[in-house]
Amino acid sequence: MNGGVGQDLARLLAERRTEMAPIDAGRMCRQRHARLQAELARQGVEAALLLHGPNVAYATGEDVRGVDVSYATFERPVALVVAGEDRPHLLADRGDPTLDVERHPAAWPELDEGADDLARVLGEVVGTVAGRRVAVDEQTGAMLRAGVLDGADIADAAHLVGAAKLTKNDDELACIAEAQRRNEDAMAAVQGTARVGATRSQVAGAFLARLLELGVESNLIDPIFQPLPRTVTDGPRTTTETIAFPTGVGDPTFAHGDVVWVDSGIDHLGYASDFGRTWVVGRDPDAAERGLFERWCDVMVAVLEVLKPGATAGELCRAAEAANGGDRPWLPHFYLAHGVGVESAEMPLVGTDLGPEFDDRLIMAPGMVLVLEPVIWDDGVGGYRAEEIVAVTEDGWRHLGGGHPYPPFA
Amino acid sequence: MTAPTPIPTNEDADLRSARRDRVFDAMAMVGLDVLVLGRRDSVAYATGARSLWTAGSRPFGPACVLVEAARSVHLLSTWDEGVPPEVPFEHLYGVTWNGAILAGALAAIPGLAAATRIGVEALSPGFERMAQRLAPAAELVPADDLMRAVRALKLPAEVARVRAAVAVAGVAIEAADAALAGGAGPAAARSAAWEAAAGRGVTVPTSGVDVGPADPAGGARFHVDAGFLVAGYEGGLGRTLPGSGDDAPLVAAQRRLIDACRPGATAADLRSALPGGSARWRVRGSGMGFETPVLSPTLGGGEVIEEHMVLSVEIELDGMRRRDLAAVGPGTTDVL
Repeated sequence: MNGGVGQDLARLLAERRTEMAPIDAGRMCRQRHARLQAELARQGVEAALLLHGPNVAYATGEDVRGVDVSYATFERPVALVVAGEDRPHLLADRGDPTLDVERHPAAWPELDEGADDLARVLGEVVGTVAGRRVAVDEQTGAMLRAGVLDGADIADAAHLVGAAKLTKNDDELACIAEAQRRNEDAMAAVQGTARVGATRSQVAGAFLARLLELGVESNLIDPIFQPLPRTVTDGPRTTTETIAFPTGVGDPTFAHGDVVWVDSGIDHLGYASDFGRTWVVGRDPDAAERGLFERWCDVMVAVLEVLKPGATAGELCRAAEAANGGDRPWLPHFYLAHGVGVESAEMPLVGTDLGPEFDDRLIMAPGMVLVLEPVIWDDGVGGYRAEEIVAVTEDGWRHLGGGHPYPPFA
Repeated sequence: MTAPTPIPTNEDADLRSARRDRVFDAMAMVGLDVLVLGRRDSVAYATGARSLWTAGSRPFGPACVLVEAARSVHLLSTWDEGVPPEVPFEHLYGVTWNGAILAGALAAIPGLAAATRIGVEALSPGFERMAQRLAPAAELVPADDLMRAVRALKLPAEVARVRAAVAVAGVAIEAADAALAGGAGPAAARSAAWEAAAGRGVTVPTSGVDVGPADPAGGARFHVDAGFLVAGYEGGLGRTLPGSGDDAPLVAAQRRLIDACRPGATAADLRSALPGGSARWRVRGSGMGFETPVLSPTLGGGEVIEEHMVLSVEIELDGMRRRDLAAVGPGTTDVL
């Protein structure tokens, strides 16, 4: 019985964890460019001006840096994708010199003088924007003051990039799988440090140090090792009246018996991982906690049984609820599953507050990626939460990651 | 090992109040009814809220709404953990994926619908559409410059926090130095720096830890730079390691640059402090991350250094680099 359903799930995932071809970053960028070009044509957009980091990374292959928002904003690279052109434009001073892009000096679009530079490049590449359909994801204050896009018929580049990246090619899937494998390796190396008397920051520090030893350049989120209360009312007050997670606040010291929810994400060639597990400090899980884990496994198996091309997000949600006695096994401010790619959470979003009608219209297709993150909560006992990444294939799904087990549960 | 410098883990109410007042005063001065902030660091400045750190840029969205008439703060947060007590729970709106739910939450903020001037830190097409529906009479005004002007001039308590943060960066640099001296490569040196910062309870970067070869041909020296966020403020430090006796010209050049960063100085003044063009340099604001002004040989034409700024003074000369944070006083500019 011990770990039985956990082993069943692990076996199911292992059966669908197929060998992946080596990543060809150049091919991956060319295919993404083709997808963006197809969306430009489909949405009737002449050019897309991209400032948001993950969008720039998607369009150009520019490195993702594990830096604070203030650095990412001021020192931001900018991408410009023009309909009909065979490669994107990149305004940046640093990064990989081998990228297949049309290079321009970095603009500093946060600064008034930088917005003028950006307008000049836009003029040289696109010509006058007035009356033209131009997509943009974000305009800085300086761009607004300089009127960089004045007169343009502005489209939302979030829709453009969002549609292009909804399904992934094999290179992209291999990047996610590699990110996840490295993330799992680093977590496996440091789980033993989460012992009685250790602080969150000590465990996080060991994890971050291990990442660097594994060759990971960028960490994407302050790694979460959050001790959970057993009842919702013992935790922070929430707008949803459910458990607060992940708060990312404070530096708790682990005590004997703490149930700790773990969550982290790293980068590999622009693609994010998403590791989630539940750890227990200084003891084995008790019978009630094992029951939560087993129900989590049941929910996972139930969802994976219905996951295939053509299935709707609504069907996934209903399978999860049925395996959890009719209750929704996920956090109401999040989802049963979310996509992952150049963003740590992106479409397809399954079971969000976009509502059941949205879920019933969202149809699974090959190349979509799902981070399944059910949460089983029994108030008074506590909760079990973990995450697994799968990609929809022509005939079902495949597991992305290395097959990390669920210690101390299985 | 030296005793750790105490790190302030909770911001005091006086500092939060002083920063918030500055933001509301600035809004009143330029006639903004509402200010919508999207970036974590700006939200932290205006509210004192602490939240989960994530890397990189965020698509612009209303993470915080400030209403000038009531001087009220409304915050995107599903929970009250990390939210200071002066922001009532009723002023929190939870994370949502649904634009209609977000619009409903914003519409319930008193003073938003009737606003005539709404300041925005940046603008996305999606938020522009939403704002036009929520406040049809309002003009959307870029207010990134307002936040930058407010943030650029530090309160004494902020300078103290930067000083504590620099101490953490120093510990990280020392650990990298020791690792390199022991024969470690760049990755192991970075790893040692991160573990040292984590040993002080700090796991969040601003720029993070860079360790790169100082000699592209493959020498034994490395440029090491550390930037960490400590209790909301940035500590930053950069050195070329291992140190040796040949950095006197670099130190002297950085000193000239720091001395040139006096109230009233312009980018032209800074350029003339380093004649000959042999040094590469950048001077820019630092506080709750990368801030303005930004001055370099090519940037900062209209900028003027002011008293109370904290500046990151970065210089490269003869293949060596050096970065320090410095506070601009009335007569002297002091390295922190």
